[in-house]
Amino acid sequence: MSQNVQLINQVFEISQKIEQEQLSAKFERNFTKIYNLLEEEGLHCINPLGEKYTESRTDCEASIAGKANHNMKITKVIKPIVYKQENGQMVLIQKGIVIVE
Amino acid sequence: MKSINFGIDLGTTNSLITKYENGQVTIFKNPIGHKDTLASVVAFRPDRTLVGDKAREFLIKDPINIFANFKRRMGTDDKFYVVNLDENITPIELSTLVLKELKQFIYSGEQAEAAVITIPASFDTMQSNATKKAGLAAGFEEVVLLQEPIAASLAYFNAANQGEDKNGYWLVYDLGGGTFDIALMEIKDGEMKVIDHEGNNFLGGADFDFGMIEQIIVPYVNAHFEIENFEQELRSKNGKYEKLFYELIYKSEEAKKELSHQEQTILDFTLMVDGVAQDVMLSITRKQFEETITTRISETLRMLQDILQRNQIAASNIEEILLVGGSTYIPYVKNSLQSETQIAVNSGIDPTTAVAIGAAYYAANKYYQPKGTKLALGNNVDDLLNSLGRVEEEEDFDLDAVEMTPVQLKVSYSKMSKDVEEVLIIKAEGDLDRKTYRIIRSDGGFDTGFVPLKSKFTEFLPLLPNINNTFFLRVYDADQNEIRAAMEELSITHGQYNISGQPLPQDICIEVDDKDNHTTKLELIFEKNSILPQKKTLYREISKTIKQGSDDSIIINILEGDRFARPLSNLVIACIVISGKDLTSDLIKGSDIELQISMSDNRELHTEVYLVMTQQEFKNAFSISEKHVNVDRLKEQFIDLENEIRNSIKMFSVDDNDVWALQANDFLKELGQHKAELFKLQENDRTDTKYVIAEMLNRISKAYDKLGGEDRLERLRYEYFESKDFAENHLPMADFRKEELAQKYQKILGGEHHVLISRNPSILEKATEKLNDLGWDILWNTLSYLISRYEGFKALEPAHYTNYNGAQTIFKSADTALNGEKYYEFRQHVYNITHLLVHSDYKVKNDDFKGTGIG
Repeated sequence: MSQNVQLINQVFEISQKIEQEQLSAKFERNFTKIYNLLEEEGLHCINPLGEKYTESRTDCEASIAGKANHNMKITKVIKPIVYKQENGQMVLIQKGIVIVE
Repeated sequence: MKSINFGIDLGTTNSLITKYENGQVTIFKNPIGHKDTLASVVAFRPDRTLVGDKAREFLIKDPINIFANFKRRMGTDDKFYVVNLDENITPIELSTLVLKELKQFIYSGEQAEAAVITIPASFDTMQSNATKKAGLAAGFEEVVLLQEPIAASLAYFNAANQGEDKNGYWLVYDLGGGTFDIALMEIKDGEMKVIDHEGNNFLGGADFDFGMIEQIIVPYVNAHFEIENFEQELRSKNGKYEKLFYELIYKSEEAKKELSHQEQTILDFTLMVDGVAQDVMLSITRKQFEETITTRISETLRMLQDILQRNQIAASNIEEILLVGGSTYIPYVKNSLQSETQIAVNSGIDPTTAVAIGAAYYAANKYYQPKGTKLALGNNVDDLLNSLGRVEEEEDFDLDAVEMTPVQLKVSYSKMSKDVEEVLIIKAEGDLDRKTYRIIRSDGGFDTGFVPLKSKFTEFLPLLPNINNTFFLRVYDADQNEIRAAMEELSITHGQYNISGQPLPQDICIEVDDKDNHTTKLELIFEKNSILPQKKTLYREISKTIKQGSDDSIIINILEGDRFARPLSNLVIACIVISGKDLTSDLIKGSDIELQISMSDNRELHTEVYLVMTQQEFKNAFSISEKHVNVDRLKEQFIDLENEIRNSIKMFSVDDNDVWALQANDFLKELGQHKAELFKLQENDRTDTKYVIAEMLNRISKAYDKLGGEDRLERLRYEYFESKDFAENHLPMADFRKEELAQKYQKILGGEHHVLISRNPSILEKATEKLNDLGWDILWNTLSYLISRYEGFKALEPAHYTNYNGAQTIFKSADTALNGEKYYEFRQHVYNITHLLVHSDYKVKNDDFKGTGIG
């Protein structure tokens, strides 16, 4: 795993913890800035929380809690999805680690 | 005869494919997610077939339709009933699907016609034959089997020194994600063979992760929180803590990996206790973790001892233990092996890929006869058949089958989209019976798996924002061999290239300070021809301190025009002035400023300025018709332009360029006519004067930039290169501050590209001036030059000095320093003399630059 991806994971984890404490509003600007800077380096971090989950989503590694059905949603994100932009093409460099219900 | 070259590790939990080429082994990565490995799992979901990691996700939830660990059943007559297919499937068929999926990893497009497939040492003839059958069914013409411990040994020995004598006994210790194998090997006169082996199919890394939950996390939670039946709720399907269980499995695996590198790690998670979120920060030491795996590792050691005893070989007769499998990364495994057996442990290569790499080495020296050659149609028989919509199945292909109707697809989709997903409509014609299709997005984030082909169907394709998304639509026959002629590449551009948007006619820039040159420069916000709407956030620093309540201000100037031109030549479309009076506290130099700038479809500009230090936000919306002129800044720009034109006139005169000099002089005259008027102006002036002057400045600046046209630019570029050559040639001769000067030179070169493409003469002039300054700096730090200058100074008449007596004293000290070879001291004396000269070489720079306040 590249250092950059590890860095993103740390930032993401911090943001998750802050959200849990309901302090997100205070840090929103800082996180936007961090993610903006990363995007300038070609790294795109995506938090798929709340998105629909289907088995064709290969951008995530999912653990399925509860019953598997057609209307599954991502209910917890342990690691975000990371894409790297290289020569105008996006490449998936980290699959999101998610829990789906 | 062709060399096989392809190697496959068809593992119980994970599989890999490799290729030997020019002495190197390539591990083909999974195009989905770019991992080296493919999970050996097949899922028959209600509407599609999935192979690999995606299939594994459904293992617990849909066990009757998902198959893993089928390698253990190879060679048995076991059949698995697949509910979703309502038919039976054999372990061979499942292995075939995994092998076919591995073939898709070969990104080079090359067709793997033959392969070496590895098998455990424990496989009997039936199991071996079954593996071979799976390989043939997957479309390989030739399959060669190789025992895994031998493959691993090959990988180790090829990585080590080739010349070494390897005769003797070896152990291959293979502890993977879910299985354990140990093999005793003998190498005699270059021949390698497995003498004996032992194993446990239910012992591996996954057990260790679970052990951590069971023996560390659960006891901790029980001791600190009162939760009834916590362990049960955690472990049971649909239990209250089922979601947490999956999270802990993942986190335990991460913690395990971390403990391979460090002595301690922290595993944190949130536990809901009676509706209240409790943060758990559990510190786990390597020792604690090791305690949870001791029993399992001892089990492997026992098997190792058994094998030695059985074969009556003393541990001292074993050369080395070679490590294979991801779980051997755990330091405890390696240390226990070493301390318990006293045998040297070799962990020199990546244990997860060793078997596949060894298989490729073996494949390099195995040959096969390509079958296509019999047909005298060259090596493209496959292609020929594929183009007819059919893939060769057996050696004796029949002509009827070739005449089968090929599958034809008609696809319909929008090539541009602003939505998060785009619908694809496909009509298929021909023989669709038992055929499947599969769509993969090129970045690896989307894969439909194998879906039965119907005459008409739709797929929703998810799109990544603001980029061209490429999808590959492939069709497969009943045996999941690709029908290559039916392949379609679909390309959908998301977002920015929407055809309804209009392009920007000019660059939109912001004016920022260029402190080095005491001027301002343009920084691009939106590029010419980019499609509206556009949005961008800029992060800059404040370049001067602004006291609260003062008249000093930051100026945010947004301009439209040519980004390579001087700011003055561009049209100001928005100007925001934040003065000291607007501030809630002092704004310190270096603090951050965030500017969010957006331009709508109808070219309305919005800005949001946020001062991080004072936490103030300023929002503005401008329509382009509105103008704002800041008088202070106008005065500064005026002087700037006036000085520049004046300098140019001097230069033109030196170069005998009278025509240019005359034109420039006219500009200067026109400027002069407005000078007095401008300097009388106050910021709060209500008349139109400032607009008139701003307009005039803009016009003259543009005209001055164009003066001399391309000729002038050419000339300036020539001067730039001359100065550059001078600096470059003299730099090696410098005797003092050499490194510092070299750095300065490199810094100037860093901006060279922008200088040379600029159509703004002043940028070129300034860059040349910088190089010239550097050139002088280099000379004044070169001993030979200093000595010659010094001799020149000594020869000057007293009238050239402000204090000739003082100079005499310095001459004496300088002579002494020079004779004593104290060059640093000498240099200082020469510098001191220059200060006593009536006309000093040094220019004193004006440091009263105001600028925009944005650095």
